[in-house]
Amino acid sequence: MEKGFEIKDLITVGVFTALYFAVTFIVACLGFIPIFMAVMPLIGPIFAGIPLMLYFTKIKHFGMVLITSVIIAVLMFIMGHPYPIFIFCIGAGLITELVLRAGKYESIKHCIVGSVTFSLWLLGMVIAFFFGFREAYFASLADGYGQEYVEQMMSYTPAWMFYAMILMCLVGGGIGGLLGAKVLKKHFRKAGMV
Amino acid sequence: MGLKFDPRTKLMLMITIGLIMMSGKLTGPEYILRLVCTAIPFILLLSIKSFKSAILYAILLSGTVFCEGFIVPYTNGVMNLIVMTICGVISRFGPGYLMGWYFVSSTSVSEFITAMKKMHFPDVVTIPMSVMFRYFPTLKEEYLSIHDAMKMREIGQGVKNPFQYVEYVLVPIMMSTVQIANDLSAASLTKGLGVNNGRTHICRISMKAYDWLLILAMVSMLVIFYAF
Repeated sequence: MEKGFEIKDLITVGVFTALYFAVTFIVACLGFIPIFMAVMPLIGPIFAGIPLMLYFTKIKHFGMVLITSVIIAVLMFIMGHPYPIFIFCIGAGLITELVLRAGKYESIKHCIVGSVTFSLWLLGMVIAFFFGFREAYFASLADGYGQEYVEQMMSYTPAWMFYAMILMCLVGGGIGGLLGAKVLKKHFRKAGMV
Repeated sequence: MGLKFDPRTKLMLMITIGLIMMSGKLTGPEYILRLVCTAIPFILLLSIKSFKSAILYAILLSGTVFCEGFIVPYTNGVMNLIVMTICGVISRFGPGYLMGWYFVSSTSVSEFITAMKKMHFPDVVTIPMSVMFRYFPTLKEEYLSIHDAMKMREIGQGVKNPFQYVEYVLVPIMMSTVQIANDLSAASLTKGLGVNNGRTHICRISMKAYDWLLILAMVSMLVIFYAF
């Protein structure tokens, strides 16, 4: 099992990370409408979970999820998200890695749990609304988007919202994982592609 | 062919623009920085002769500036919120998005790999990233083909359930993703990527004087940005 990476694994990582990122990005674009921003951690993983599950079934070595999370972190950082994104991405990647490892990279149940834990990286995107970052971030938003937008956003994101968002991530990841498993069963196993 | 920049310079440009545009304020020296950042993608797009997107970008952004300057003061309530949101999104993400587009369309994969190697990134990061780099345009093509196929069979307009629509689009994309991953790994094996020896490359990239100048300019912009 511990054979290390083959080139095939690296390519699988690249292709599926691209797909996962694209789906997340499209869903995240909805996030500019204030109310969607608040439920983004719920909606995002539901859709992104479907390709993620297929990706998880392709994983056979330790470290592939970790690379995915590092790449997502780097891309998010280039696009201008603050640095905590690295902590969240890599943390979520590591947890997911351990979950999948516990299932020996075969069990579909562990994949679903993995989808739950992996979706936690989304918290890195919304961390700017909370804790120490809150004041500075909203001050910068006020200039760009206008006071009204900021007030709207603030009313959707009180401090307890962060914990609600953790819950949303978990639930969204769970639903996404289950949906993904269903899609896999319906389409891919029949075609012999898993 | 006009100026050809080193991929490392382009990366630096992208990071700088991303950082400044996402969190920049609209007052004081930062406003000037934002203006510069907004102008850079336009010039770069002209330099690779993609006039269509350059002009589209210019129209979109001048429209945004016009809206922010003239329409916003006269609106309030929901209308103000909508206009501000749309303008904010365009002016914040437009430049970064176009820089990404410029980067992808002006850099070949081998240039990218060589640059990453010169920056001493390990292969486990470089290879997946270069695959992604190549895969994004393919993804768009795949989506368009699926869209066409659905239209030909008159599926899509009638689908009310969003989950069903997502299933119709996502499942074929996932199928072809698996296929493409297999094809790519076969291709890379024939190119000898699996051999553990060091690889050589014929593509030459080098930092020219104007590359250094641009990087210097970007660094000083970031310094100004964080100092004030």
